[in-house]
Amino acid sequence: MTVTDDVPVGNSAPRSGEPLVELVDVQKWYGGLHVLQDINLSVGRGEVVVVIGPSGSGKSTLCRTINRLEPIDSGQILVDGAALPQEGKALARHRADVGMVFQSFNLFAHKTILQNVALGPIKVRKQAKDAAEAHARELLDRVGVAHQADKYPAQLSGGQQQRVAIARALAMEPKVMLFDEPTSALDPEMIKEVLDVMVDLAERGMTMIVVTHEMGFARTAANRVVFMADGRILETADPETFFTHPESDRARDFLGKILKH
Amino acid sequence: MRLTRFKVAAAAVLMASSLAACGDAGDDSVDGIDVDVQENAAEEFDEGTRMRELADSGTIKIGVKYDQPGIGFKGATDDAPVGFDPEIGKILAADLGIAPEDITWVETISANREAFLQKGEVDLVIASYSITDDRRKVVGQAGPYYVTGQQLLVKSDSDIASLEDVKGTEVCSVTGSTSLSNIEKEGATPRPFDTYSECVDQVLNGTVDAMTTDGAILLGYAAEHPDDLKVVVDPFSEERYGVGYSIDSPEMCEWIVETIEDAQEDGAWAEAFEVTLGKSGVDTPEPPEMDACA
Amino acid sequence: MEDVFSNFDLVLKAFWLTVQLAFLSGVAAMLLGTLLAAMRVGPVAVLRGVASTYVTLVRNTPLLVMCVFVFVASPNLGLFVDTPFLLKGTIAISLYTAPFVAEAIRSGINAVPVGQAEAARAIGMTFAQNMRHVVLPQAFRATVPPLASTLIAMTKNTSVVAVFGLTEATARMRDFVNDNADDTIAIFLVFALGYIILVELISLAALGLERHWKAAR
Repeated sequence: MTVTDDVPVGNSAPRSGEPLVELVDVQKWYGGLHVLQDINLSVGRGEVVVVIGPSGSGKSTLCRTINRLEPIDSGQILVDGAALPQEGKALARHRADVGMVFQSFNLFAHKTILQNVALGPIKVRKQAKDAAEAHARELLDRVGVAHQADKYPAQLSGGQQQRVAIARALAMEPKVMLFDEPTSALDPEMIKEVLDVMVDLAERGMTMIVVTHEMGFARTAANRVVFMADGRILETADPETFFTHPESDRARDFLGKILKH
Repeated sequence: MRLTRFKVAAAAVLMASSLAACGDAGDDSVDGIDVDVQENAAEEFDEGTRMRELADSGTIKIGVKYDQPGIGFKGATDDAPVGFDPEIGKILAADLGIAPEDITWVETISANREAFLQKGEVDLVIASYSITDDRRKVVGQAGPYYVTGQQLLVKSDSDIASLEDVKGTEVCSVTGSTSLSNIEKEGATPRPFDTYSECVDQVLNGTVDAMTTDGAILLGYAAEHPDDLKVVVDPFSEERYGVGYSIDSPEMCEWIVETIEDAQEDGAWAEAFEVTLGKSGVDTPEPPEMDACA
Repeated sequence: MEDVFSNFDLVLKAFWLTVQLAFLSGVAAMLLGTLLAAMRVGPVAVLRGVASTYVTLVRNTPLLVMCVFVFVASPNLGLFVDTPFLLKGTIAISLYTAPFVAEAIRSGINAVPVGQAEAARAIGMTFAQNMRHVVLPQAFRATVPPLASTLIAMTKNTSVVAVFGLTEATARMRDFVNDNADDTIAIFLVFALGYIILVELISLAALGLERHWKAAR
């Protein structure tokens, strides 16, 4: 997948056309419901892809299949050239390389902010505690919550928690970051602080797959927009093209509804 | 011997716990002794005595143990209990003109013997029923028809030969029993169990070193397993088995004492011992002297 | 009653055995119960089946039957013959208690939001790491009250081995009752008090744990 030249390019991780995440003929059913149909998607290294679509379109499911939080029924998912392993240690290793940010933050409620960020590196990456915590503090500083390091998640605002969640994912030094509606559970005044962190991340060259309704973010940071409806990818385009000249009726209809105000 | 009993309801428990013990309990038992059933026995007794009433009715209810081989034991498929106590019961019934098949046997356990006599559930209790002053306050006890004492049941190849040898060993009996306290004082580790049969199982399978209780009960188990078990050490306590009767019928005492004394003299007592407890190989003892009635 | 006080060392010795039984069985039941709970929520179907079969089987079996199995039936088959009675008691009581612990913990695990486990999986934790560092620590907090109830019931259940070779508090009480038929009530009260003290200690420990964890949030 080639990347257009008119996107902001980060200061690290030079972009290339080499695909990092590939979905090939992916199918998934929930019982009789065909939630993912013939999904083919390739995301290049350093690319930022925004997935949008009406609720129930399968966009969150798509996101969750990439680290196999949702198994698929047929097709293939490759990350960095390797197919997703089945359950077990190999899958755990795979997931360590794929960062994920959830709609509801899911910070470990019984751990402090610092422990939340350092836990993965210590237990999964087997880093020394001191080094892991030092790195965790750097990341917390980067997302602007360093002064909250010793508090528990419940003591933080939603926006702060989500930024910690991003830091927690980054601490694993993932190859790609998945965002599953990261701002949907946030009060409006907190959305920007999270988006700012995401934009910064995009500018630093992180490969990102973002399920979101934030069109502003899509316009600013995305290389491509993927539009989904009824379990299918209906349209793939660069943001400018997609927002100004959507090809499908469904996309036009959807954009009409969310861009009205 | 006073014992507390722990009621076990689960059938599975009974089945599992009697795996080893019950195997040959009923198989080689004999029918017991032949008794001479008195004819016209009622005429022998004065009007208004309990003996006369029983003789007139032609039946008698006798409480015995159902779980003590040699003393009083009834297998699940047996018609009537067998053992030294039932034999004594038959001798007494015969004197009233009641044939063995007309006796109604009732299982009594240690805890309900007084209550059964007081409520008239049974006419006599012959159930390894030690005579004590406490009991004589609430029921009548005539006897002793047999004197035993606490002894030890061990495996045939056991090294335990004297009471001193139990120090440091594990000895089982029934939970809460005086035997268990006694053996603990001798330096053994007491191993309480719910029933004698579970306890004897522990001796047989080698889990504990010995079982302790009245020698009479131990002899019954030794008789069941003559190749595997033996009774050792001289009795170190005295238990005098008596025949229980209602305290409201004191006239029964003289009759019981006289009837058993007759049996002691004519050999029926010895015969009853030989076909029950005597099967363990132990010599038939001299019959004990009976207490005088009050 | 004088008999009880003049032989108070026997009372203390018996309660010490009860404490040993309760402590050893409690630790063993917690370990086995946690393992069973983890197996039941784990990804391996065979282990799920094994654990749920065990829980169903043992939870529907009276402790008395478990004791007959360990103390009477097994030695007749040549098992546990030379095993010390205290260990057999621990085995019987902990095997019996483990399913209750497992169910208490499983309910605690189910009370942990699914997102917690998902987040742990998403940073590459294995199932064991997930359980150990994320799910179980949170599950135990939700589990303290039901677990305390289970351990209290277990402590009182140790009295069943009074008829399986162990002279713990209840067996000793029956000795005293047998020898002092006139003092039954007083003897009962002394031993009941002993059990109340033991059980209260567990309750207080549970309360302290709850407070400690509440403060840590």
